[in-house]
Amino acid sequence: MRNRLPGLVSRDGERKVRVMRGLELTLRQTALALVGLLFLFALPDIARLSPTIQLSVLHQGVVFGLAAVGLNLLVRHTQLVSFGHAAFFGTGAYTTALLAAKYNVTEFALLLIAGMLLATLMAMLIGYLSLRHTGLYFSLLTLAFGQLLYALVQGQAFFGSSDGLPVRPGPNMRPDIFGLALPPDAYEVLMYYLTVVLVVVSLLVMWRLINSPFGAALDAIGQDRTRAQFIGIPVRRYVWLAFVVSAVYGGMAGALYAMVQQHVRPGPVLYFLRSGDILFMAILGGYQTLLGPLVGGIVLVLLQDMGRDLTNYFDALTGLVLLALVFGFPQGIVGSLKKGGRVRNAASSFKDDPAVIGSWLSSFTESLVTAASRSVQNVKVLVFGVK
Amino acid sequence: MSVLTNFITHTLHGVQYGFILFLIASGLTIILGILDVLNLAHGELYALGAYVASSVLGYVVGLVPPPTDAASQAVFVAVVLGGAVLTAAVLVPVGAAIESVLLRPIYDRNEVYQLVLTFALLLIIKDAIKFGWGPTPVRLQSVYSGINGIPAASLVGLNYPTYNLVIIAVGAVVVVGLFYFFNRTKTGRIIRATAIDREMATAIGVSTDRTFTLVFAVGAFFAGFAGAMALPPTNATLEMGANPLVLSFVVIVIGGLGSLRGAFVAALVVGILSKWATWQYPPAELAAPFAIMAVILLVKPDGLFGTWGEMDA
Repeated sequence: MRNRLPGLVSRDGERKVRVMRGLELTLRQTALALVGLLFLFALPDIARLSPTIQLSVLHQGVVFGLAAVGLNLLVRHTQLVSFGHAAFFGTGAYTTALLAAKYNVTEFALLLIAGMLLATLMAMLIGYLSLRHTGLYFSLLTLAFGQLLYALVQGQAFFGSSDGLPVRPGPNMRPDIFGLALPPDAYEVLMYYLTVVLVVVSLLVMWRLINSPFGAALDAIGQDRTRAQFIGIPVRRYVWLAFVVSAVYGGMAGALYAMVQQHVRPGPVLYFLRSGDILFMAILGGYQTLLGPLVGGIVLVLLQDMGRDLTNYFDALTGLVLLALVFGFPQGIVGSLKKGGRVRNAASSFKDDPAVIGSWLSSFTESLVTAASRSVQNVKVLVFGVK
Repeated sequence: MSVLTNFITHTLHGVQYGFILFLIASGLTIILGILDVLNLAHGELYALGAYVASSVLGYVVGLVPPPTDAASQAVFVAVVLGGAVLTAAVLVPVGAAIESVLLRPIYDRNEVYQLVLTFALLLIIKDAIKFGWGPTPVRLQSVYSGINGIPAASLVGLNYPTYNLVIIAVGAVVVVGLFYFFNRTKTGRIIRATAIDREMATAIGVSTDRTFTLVFAVGAFFAGFAGAMALPPTNATLEMGANPLVLSFVVIVIGGLGSLRGAFVAALVVGILSKWATWQYPPAELAAPFAIMAVILLVKPDGLFGTWGEMDA
């Protein structure tokens, strides 16, 4: 039975902590993971201490981060950029809300599972229709299907039109958690802990998935579809499966969102800007990493919330952050902090020689000047013709 | 009103809507077909056009007397159209700057960065509009009522706003002009050549740099022009960019990616069918374009027309 349970193992002279089959972390990574977990679990207490941080906002960030983790399976491994992920988030959220509002289903687990199930069915359908295409065409199609759902929900009184639906079933006015009817405060905190547990389990499942032969096949498909087809990978079926899995994550996040917010409106859960948000969370956190999307979700939601308090122009603030991301830190937050990432490299060269800042500045201005002069030249030629 | 006049009115509404959609989608589709960039900020360029038009048109209309007789009405229409073109011209440097400064460095990167970048621009332009014109909707009623004072449709016994007829006429001129530009002029052919084979075009001495800047500027021009034309009948609001953006995606998907002819046909199909649907069953207004898209994609997965190429323009 050795090596079956979590514990310390020795690999290539390095001591590693075994979490599950195939997943072994170095001591440093273990420490980081434990700190991260502890931080997530301590958040309700931290939020109680500080008046500016609200648990509900952080909770929302974690939930959206979960959806982004799901989307990242597609973006990172199959190179398909879905721009309609809000469709599955919204399906999960609306399934929960409908069951709660119209059929008075009160059980948390039932609502969650129903949301995930409906999102799966929706993904099977949308995936079948839109996965015939790749590249931008795929992005456009997923976006359009997402908007179709938005338009349908918005137009039907059954779905509460633009007012949405409340999630307040039963005499307790909120879902029961495993049969327990809880007062509001306890409900909020327990929901948060449940979310964290679900997120951790989902991350472990995702880790297993991308380190399995299936994950490797998805990588192969992302690199070269034709080649993957030739070596015998059933490309269509695998991509479809990946699409459905990523949607299950979205559906789970949506169902959690509905139960946390206790009200679902089409704008915040189904609109195409929400799809964009989920995609940008993945990229902001670092879409080449597993944890990145989660971090990106928390950061983006916090940023939008703080920006709203700070200035009237909070959208532009988010826009500037995204611009800085594209040009300065294309690997995202987690990607830049990782070994070999941009921040790590910069920090180490700064430690070696602080004067490196000067050369950074000069190379930055140089690239700006070259770009500007090139565009001025182009405009000149466009306007006056070649002399 | 008889069923027939009702039918004609709704069809005309559809045609007018289709031309507005085409104006927006044409810019988007040539940018997509040639630069391979899905410009999410296109809807905001359209909104920016509407806001700039509220200032520009408001100013130029004040320069001429309100229309009373035929001559002054003709002058009025000419001034409004001139103002719309002027508005669109304001958007040209904006588009050129976006392409040459922001988009150029990331062409060779993963396409998700283009989406992030144009989405960031969407947010920034939206707030720039809010900063410039304030959060309240902007109106330009005088232009609409001024042009509607011309009794054009009532000549044949129809109750239809003249301004919409102007949009249809202008749209038709733009369509003819665009097809002429891409089929007959040297610059248009160079642009198409770049779209078909970028490397070959570079090899025979075409500067893709300049072509790209030009194409993006043209795209911004048409977005701005569409905004200026769409402003008078309604208000300009901060949210006005999102819906046309998504609808022009639908138009592009139906027409075939990057095909201008496809975009034209698809815009008219979407415009007319969705106005008919709205007439028969009002709640269908929002979902109709997407339903049309889903049906067409099931029948023809690549859209109505192929891609931007030799046989197409």
